[in-house]
Amino acid sequence: MTTQRLHPRVRIVWVVRAIVFAGLFTLPFVAGFYLGYLPEWAPTVAGGVLLVIGVVHALLRYRRWSYEIREDELYLDRGVITQVRTTVPLVRIQHVDSRRGPIERAVGLASCVVYTAGSRGADVRIPGLTPDGANDLRGELKRLAIRADGEDAV
Amino acid sequence: MKLAPQSVPYRALQRGLGFAVLAFFILNASDAGGTGLTVAVAAGIVLVALAYEAAYYQRFEYVLTEDTFDISSGVISRREREIPYRRIQNVDVSRNVVQRALGIAAVDLETAGGSATEGSIRYVTVAEATRLQRELQRRKSGANGSPGELDEHGEPVAPTEEDLFAITPGELALVGALSFDGRLIGLLAFLGSGSVPVLSGFIPTASAAILTATAIVAVGLLFLASWVLGAAIAFSNYYGFRLSRAGDELRYERGLFRRYSGSIPTEKVQTLTIADNPAKRALGYASLSIETAGYAPGQGGDQGSQAAVPIARTDRVYDLAREVEPFGEPSFHRPPRRIRWRYVFRYTMVVAALTGILFAVDWWTAGAIPWYGPLLLLLAVPPAAHLKWKHRGYWLGEDHLLTRNGFWSRQVKVVPYYRIQNVIDTRTIFQRRWYVATVVADTAGTGSLMGSNAAAVDFDIDEAVTLRRELNDRLQDALIDRRARRTAFEWFEGDPMEIYGASADAGTDSAADAGTGSVVDVDADDVVIDDAEADPAVGAALDADDMAGTDRFAGIDGVEDVVDAEGVDDTTDVADAEEGDDGMDAADAEEGDDADDLDIPPDGVIRPDFSVSDRDYSQPAERVDTGDYAVDRHPSDADVPFRPDDESSSGGADGDDDDTEHDEASADDDATPGDDRSGR
Repeated sequence: MTTQRLHPRVRIVWVVRAIVFAGLFTLPFVAGFYLGYLPEWAPTVAGGVLLVIGVVHALLRYRRWSYEIREDELYLDRGVITQVRTTVPLVRIQHVDSRRGPIERAVGLASCVVYTAGSRGADVRIPGLTPDGANDLRGELKRLAIRADGEDAV
Repeated sequence: MKLAPQSVPYRALQRGLGFAVLAFFILNASDAGGTGLTVAVAAGIVLVALAYEAAYYQRFEYVLTEDTFDISSGVISRREREIPYRRIQNVDVSRNVVQRALGIAAVDLETAGGSATEGSIRYVTVAEATRLQRELQRRKSGANGSPGELDEHGEPVAPTEEDLFAITPGELALVGALSFDGRLIGLLAFLGSGSVPVLSGFIPTASAAILTATAIVAVGLLFLASWVLGAAIAFSNYYGFRLSRAGDELRYERGLFRRYSGSIPTEKVQTLTIADNPAKRALGYASLSIETAGYAPGQGGDQGSQAAVPIARTDRVYDLAREVEPFGEPSFHRPPRRIRWRYVFRYTMVVAALTGILFAVDWWTAGAIPWYGPLLLLLAVPPAAHLKWKHRGYWLGEDHLLTRNGFWSRQVKVVPYYRIQNVIDTRTIFQRRWYVATVVADTAGTGSLMGSNAAAVDFDIDEAVTLRRELNDRLQDALIDRRARRTAFEWFEGDPMEIYGASADAGTDSAADAGTGSVVDVDADDVVIDDAEADPAVGAALDADDMAGTDRFAGIDGVEDVVDAEGVDDTTDVADAEEGDDGMDAADAEEGDDADDLDIPPDGVIRPDFSVSDRDYSQPAERVDTGDYAVDRHPSDADVPFRPDDESSSGGADGDDDDTEHDEASADDDATPGDDRSGR
């Protein structure tokens, strides 16, 4: 399988999430303003900065994300500030979930979570898949995991 | 089997005492009645506790079955738990002073799943605890495919115990001397924080000099007390520490007041950590800890890893580590020299930040703090950067990855390639500026939850990428290596002569008709099922609703369908049944001469025979040993292609090749049956 990109609509999910977070983190500033500790422009500026950072991060994140199912491993390349490249040997896959969060459902996307027994990369989430794609990916990974014939996965 | 009867009063006291004391205080405080009432209530509570514990004793039962350890317990809500032997990671026995006086012991079984202890038996007699420990070990190794060691009468013999390490009085003294318990300070600080207002009442009356002197003395005493406390705890923890190897497991024993003993299968060891610090290095000492997937033993408690060697001469530690994981003589490969500049930069930033903070404080309070003081630290920056660089490194051994990090507390991690769970390559924004990356080899050891995975930090990106690929390749090689041994081993499950003989009787014609294709599938499926049983990964992947998916995929592939699907199903059942019923005997027989003078039928295929068993193969296997995982109950339905080439090999030629390989592998392996067990 060649390198796969995420579905472009995942940007909507991430941007919405960034907006929500920016909103949440602006709340203290708003409260500060109402209680008279902060000048009027503080919440606006804080919110604006957070929003811009969040949105830019979301867009860059989409550009960086890619995954690939190789012969005997799953390879993920992601991360904006810290770039992370994970290789998960198919033998080590414990189980695979496909899930859909509320924002994902709204834009018609799903994600796939791969679990291993590892302590650090114990679960790897591949976002931005179409629901069918997520199911297919789950099925594919499971099939490959079985074929890869893990013995002691621990 | 039942618990020890002595456990009833002990448990009742343990449980009831807290309540009784609580009730005592409440009643006393509220002045609700006289002492008579208080005593009556306390006695009542103890009686209730006794009754409950008697019922608990009555309802608690554990059984060593053929391949699981069953515990049924619970007074009000019943729980039946089956723990497959092969899933057991550790068996620990502990006894505190009271328990030792009563002659009882607590037995804990750990499996890889979950955070809590999976099987906890409170309490059995000491003899029973030892018996359980030994018996579980024997059955565990039996369940893992290698038969427990049997003498010529087929009776189990206890594997000979070989001492690996015993702590010497000098080392014990050193452990004590190097231990410092910070908890006392924490406790006093906590208590002290409440009493500050009280104390401040006295403060103005005393002069500053006396105050300072008192404070210094108090702090000194506090540290001394902490040190003595730490030494005492370490002394009682590690008193009589002994590590030995018996067969394929490690056993440890330690403790002065509370005795711990336990076993770790060498098969389950995930990571070894050899730790030291500058002082230990100067004196030539180091410590070792052994991590398994169940937990790093004793992590639940506060004593750290129970099987850790607290301190020993460095060469002894390395010998011991090699005894567990033979990793050879490491020669570490350091990060590029330029990376020292990165550390210089980093430390300079820290010094600058410190200076800045002090300056700000100085400016704010308008005091005369020598805020430029930290600048002296700049002198230490270059050597610190050099040392940091010097103590980093990794080494790729024959079967192990070794990494080394840290100057103040240096850790050398030993990770067998076979244990790698995934490989993570991270580059922070700062690392990218220096064109370096960190490669982490993640294992299932719980100790690594603290983020102390085996990591090769700050290596050139090109090198990191190579390392990442190399680790993956070596893992695959290790897997193939394992699989070859295992496959060969499983192939002779059951009595080969019996299978062949009966098969020949049953009709060579049909065998010939079935063709090579089906033979390959039989072989392949055999392996799939056996491994699925041995394997949490596949086990977990096969959860029930997913199974439908598997069928679908298999259906699309259509490999098995082309060939005789029913034959395949039946064969898996046979393998299954055999494993359950006479796996031990079969494996035992295999060690004998039978396999050597086994003649292979003309078509080069040894066929299982269904007529020797009276099992109804139209029914699925009754029970499949899958551990705690939800796995398909009917593994015979899982028409899953096993090898990549299965998809193309429904024809005869490929099948033939595969089959020959298998036979050769089996033959090779059989010539040296000991390898499989003693290897790891």
